[in-house]
Amino acid sequence: MHISDGVLPTTVALGSYALSAVIAAWSLKRTRPEALPKVAVVTATFFVASLIHIPFGPTSVHLLLPGLVGALLGASGFIAILVGLLLQSLLFQFGGLTALGANALMMGLPALACGFFFHRFKGKTAKRQMLVGGLCGGLGTMLAALLLACLLTTGGEDFFGVAKLALAAHVPVIIIETIVTALTVSFLSRVKPELLQAPFQTRRKMP
Amino acid sequence: MTPQPIILPGWSLAGGLLLLLLMGGASSWGIRRLVRGARQRRKGEPDWSLPQLDGATAGDSPIHRWEVRCKLVGMLGFAFLVVSLQDLRTAAVAGAITLSLLFVTRLPFDRSLARLLAMSGFLGMFLLVMPFSAPAHPGDTLIQFGNLESLPWNLRGLHKAATICLKACAVALLMEPLLATAPLTRTLQGLRRLGVPAAIGQMLLLAHRYSYVFKHEAWRMASGMRLRGFQPGSNRRALGAFGNFLGMLFVRSFERTERVYDAMQARGYRDRFPEPEPQPATAKDLLLAGFFLLLGVALLLADRCYFSTF
Repeated sequence: MHISDGVLPTTVALGSYALSAVIAAWSLKRTRPEALPKVAVVTATFFVASLIHIPFGPTSVHLLLPGLVGALLGASGFIAILVGLLLQSLLFQFGGLTALGANALMMGLPALACGFFFHRFKGKTAKRQMLVGGLCGGLGTMLAALLLACLLTTGGEDFFGVAKLALAAHVPVIIIETIVTALTVSFLSRVKPELLQAPFQTRRKMP
Repeated sequence: MTPQPIILPGWSLAGGLLLLLLMGGASSWGIRRLVRGARQRRKGEPDWSLPQLDGATAGDSPIHRWEVRCKLVGMLGFAFLVVSLQDLRTAAVAGAITLSLLFVTRLPFDRSLARLLAMSGFLGMFLLVMPFSAPAHPGDTLIQFGNLESLPWNLRGLHKAATICLKACAVALLMEPLLATAPLTRTLQGLRRLGVPAAIGQMLLLAHRYSYVFKHEAWRMASGMRLRGFQPGSNRRALGAFGNFLGMLFVRSFERTERVYDAMQARGYRDRFPEPEPQPATAKDLLLAGFFLLLGVALLLADRCYFSTF
């Protein structure tokens, strides 16, 4: 779920723009400059992957993938998410342009947290990577939902009901996301394990 | 002290909700028909189409001729002023202004309609929930349906939700005049000259171009899966197929980045793309940007000084 224009108080919208600019600058610095075009091409894949809808009961959910972005891109994940969200906003109006900072924080901070978590605990065996990857997928979506609820409640107590509904709406996404991320990570660890090493970083490993 | 609610019979709530649902369903169906009417879709096939970002650059209007930096500052400044509004009436005026821009630029309406449709789910949630969830303050008008005492309907919540929707629509209608009236490279050049790091613009340009490529790749993989009898669903087998599908998409994209980057270097890429000749900003462009900012400030002043009764 992306925040559209006019929902957040202007101070919050501008403040989150400033904060995400700082984090994006850090993320750019942690990415090797010659790798930026590659990150951009990978961003296009994440963008396409998030357009795929998976049926769930009577409705369908689309994947958010903050956990997978974090696991695959590490610190470059924030800049990839910022560009991906800007593209979604410009092309489809998923998320308003004035709320871009807030949306980038909402998806980017979980991606960074998941990247750290994944590279800290992924271990060596394929089974463990699958387990940790699945946890990352669920954790990333859960953190994104919590951040969304926090951002919505900055509007005052009138927004509490909407924030609760938004949290509840994310429960099926968390379940699907956990399973699909686990299976994707297990596929990657069998087929191309070097992708799970955060390939575009200045240093090989996250701290 | 909580205000005394106006009591309406219980069936009116059910009737009202039904009417709202019917209206929402009918309008979204109508918009969908309008937007996708020309395109034939096979049943069960997901919609893989990506819209064109800068499809109407050939037009000729004051907005088309506007220098891109002034346009970005004027329109984005206006957008931030519009989202600060708090009253329904000023938000409606803002919406009318941005709607009139569509007429001035003579842009096709279907893209703007698609943008409004994309927000409808998120905004519908506000319209449905906020009247019930807004706590009662002194001076509010409450409506109680039958003997549902624990679920009063607060008109202040409805006002707030409707204002949010109008503001979102106003800014969404501004997007097409902002983006479609100049080629994307020129818009990004304007952003760079306004101080946005060049890397962001280049990444956006590349990601935009390659999203079409990977969309095609995903479409080919999905047709292959369908040919082999894949049934979408949320059971173990279908989710396993989705996981492998995503994994394969990433493997192919990472492999493609290497080839793309080599090809770019072979063609002389040195960390920047060639840019169009920068346009000079004339006094007229600056005046137009100033006019938009003043319009936004005037709306905000009217909002805070005259309409602060709610």
